Amino acid sequence: MTGFVDLYTESNTFLHRMDPRVKILAVLFLSVLALMIGNLEYLLILLVAILLMLVLGRATLAKTYFAMKLVLRVMILIVVLWPFFNPVGSPVLFEYWIIKITEPGIVTGIEVAVRIACLASVWYILMFTTTQRDLVRALVKLGLRFDYGLTLSISLRFLPTFGSMVDSIRDAQRARGMEFDRGSLVRRSKNYVAVLVPTVVSALRTADTISLALQSRAYGARKDRTYLRALRMRPTDYVALTIAVLAVALPAVAKYVLQIEL
Amino acid sequence: MIPRPSGRADEDCIIVAHDIKFAYEGGIEALKGVNLRITRGEFIAIVGGNGSGKTTLAKNLNGLLRPTSGSVDIAGRHASKLTVAEIARFVGYAFQNPDHQLFSGTVEEEVRFGPKNLGATDAEVARQAEHAISLMGLGEFRAAQPLSLPLGVRRKVSIASVIAMNPQVILLDEPTTGLDAGEIVDLMGCIRALNEEGHTLILITHDMRLVAQLAKRVLVMASGRIVLDSDREGAFADLEILRSSKLEPPPVTLLAHRLSEYGIPRDVATPEQLVDCIVPARGGRR
Amino acid sequence: MRPLELRDVTFTYADSSRRALDGISLDIEKGEFVTLLGENGAGKSTVCMLSNGLVPHAIKGQLGGSAKVFGYEVSEHSVAEFATRVGIVFQEPESQLFCMSVEEEVAFGPENLAVPRDEIRERVEWALGLVGMKGYNDRSPFSLSGGEKQRVAIAAALSMRPEMLVLDEPAYALDPVGRTDLYRVLRDLRDKHGMAVLLAERDAEEVAGFSDRIVLMNSGKVVGSGTPREMLRDPDRLKELGIIAPQMSELSMLLNRRLGRSEFSFYSVEEAERAISPLVSSRKPGGLR
Repeated sequence: MTGFVDLYTESNTFLHRMDPRVKILAVLFLSVLALMIGNLEYLLILLVAILLMLVLGRATLAKTYFAMKLVLRVMILIVVLWPFFNPVGSPVLFEYWIIKITEPGIVTGIEVAVRIACLASVWYILMFTTTQRDLVRALVKLGLRFDYGLTLSISLRFLPTFGSMVDSIRDAQRARGMEFDRGSLVRRSKNYVAVLVPTVVSALRTADTISLALQSRAYGARKDRTYLRALRMRPTDYVALTIAVLAVALPAVAKYVLQIEL
Repeated sequence: MIPRPSGRADEDCIIVAHDIKFAYEGGIEALKGVNLRITRGEFIAIVGGNGSGKTTLAKNLNGLLRPTSGSVDIAGRHASKLTVAEIARFVGYAFQNPDHQLFSGTVEEEVRFGPKNLGATDAEVARQAEHAISLMGLGEFRAAQPLSLPLGVRRKVSIASVIAMNPQVILLDEPTTGLDAGEIVDLMGCIRALNEEGHTLILITHDMRLVAQLAKRVLVMASGRIVLDSDREGAFADLEILRSSKLEPPPVTLLAHRLSEYGIPRDVATPEQLVDCIVPARGGRR
Repeated sequence: MRPLELRDVTFTYADSSRRALDGISLDIEKGEFVTLLGENGAGKSTVCMLSNGLVPHAIKGQLGGSAKVFGYEVSEHSVAEFATRVGIVFQEPESQLFCMSVEEEVAFGPENLAVPRDEIRERVEWALGLVGMKGYNDRSPFSLSGGEKQRVAIAAALSMRPEMLVLDEPAYALDPVGRTDLYRVLRDLRDKHGMAVLLAERDAEEVAGFSDRIVLMNSGKVVGSGTPREMLRDPDRLKELGIIAPQMSELSMLLNRRLGRSEFSFYSVEEAERAISPLVSSRKPGGLR
């Protein structure tokens, strides 16, 4: 459970160095772009471009595989099932009783799958090349209230801690003869109380200490607050931002103003 | 240091570890080949600093972790063929943090949880729980809510809930953490009583003062190996082994070493022992 | 103004009927290193949390008597106001570090006080240096050992530049190496920086070496106050109070008893060696028992 919670991969590519705010915005823009495009060929080009960036961000094969496992499963499911539920247009390739499969149906299914791949990959680029710390910092700079940013960062910080605590609690109860993978559903739910109660109690105790520590370090003492790590935009960041804006603005103009099919 | 295996008749061995190795996911090798024979009724301390592998070893002895190579025999059976629950009948493990085990409404329910899981009849559950409660001196807390009790009592409840399953071997992981002097004396009394009753006790700790008071055999671990397997005196005689295993010898032992040129034995572990060496019981020197 | 001045302080936790502090009077002078010894439930934690206002502002209950920190009555000023003068370290290494990196953790306090960025950077490096954790800036707290975590917690308190540091059983969950490193840091703080320190402990072993004064607590009251030598000479009394006695004290007492004398009173291995050598020096090596 404590495995790949933090997807960040240490490296020094241009993506790693890019201002996290620009990355977040770029990812949002690219997501919008993926949703705007309807044509399969253009979608595939977008996907290739995104995968290229993943490579440039030096994502390791292991992490990529782990991250994409779920996405791949969803994609396969869609490609296989979509035609059954969307038998529109012609030519009809197969028809029997209530099952009807058309070529456009298959193509649309593939389009949707590729679109999902684009969306997922683009967010993974963000996760692989940005530390959790920078992510939260960027969100706060982009307008998220500091309190919420702190809540987010504390939650992320304690995920591995709680993960290993739950593991420890499960072990402790297993050593008392409790079995999690056997018995009726009723029995198993009762067993989970033996894990839930200690977890909740320990979590509350931890939260208590965190609260005392926060207060002892003058949290909330003043309305203003300084930050040790500054986020400063550099020329390359502005260039990247411009490219990202254009990447979504130009197609948007093409599609909605000039009525060009995308 | 070559570990000295204690040669005992095989039928008496309740736990045997055959060259076990264990590596965590991610490749960290926590155990690098451990051989161990534990006989019924022994009182052993497994000591070492953080990262020595002592907790990993303990978990390999009760099935929570399975060796990546080598094997463990428990009560003559291969541990690999037994589930954790089945092993729990023979090897009980009281965790360092009692709050990771306690969840019931009363101490009595908590202590009954273990034997119930093992499928004991209602009468057996009641009897075993009662025995555990009285052995740990928890009678007055029977109806209290475990989580509302002070740490020392919670620790005892957690140990009682393990004893109630009546395992032959009892593993105690740092049982005195956070306890004050009175609570420690109380707990040590209960632990000794368990051993006198015939249970095999395995104490996992880094507090050498505790080892001096309780253990009869000491296994010193460092970097995933057993670097010393000897009786209690042997462990205190060698300061170097203790220090290089990130352990702190008790002050009396340090003193004894300094006075060794005057004939004071080096393996002194408690103040009483040292005084006995300085002033023989009979008559006393000038 | 004294760092801490308690006069007949009483405190009862909101959900309890027992008095955690039962008329306690205690002073800590500027630059003094005071160790508070007592059993579980004696009231040590309560005194610690009173020192920076957590009691009674964050921890609800009935507070009586006069509790002044640097001259300010605790009940009349907020925790934030005391934060610049009193730093506190709790016993749980894991839960008091809530930031994602060591650097953020140590910078958190000064950031909240709107200290200018350059000064924060200076303070972070200074604090990390004091606790021997320079270079750990980007490490995550989860990856640190218990001893390292506690030292980061101390640094995080020090970066606020307090005049008094309060530590509530900091060595609670540490292994021998962690404990030694922690006490070395405390010893340095005392020797080199003249900060007032209040340390609460259950185990008297080792604390004698760096405490200016030892205060014994029981049932919410002070039952003894004096130099380490005075307070630790009677191990039976310490045991009665639930405090783990130093082995050298026990040794002195046993030796006195056995020889029918009373002058032995050492509390370090060196002193003991000096005192005992004459007793055994007439023996041949490998001699009789």
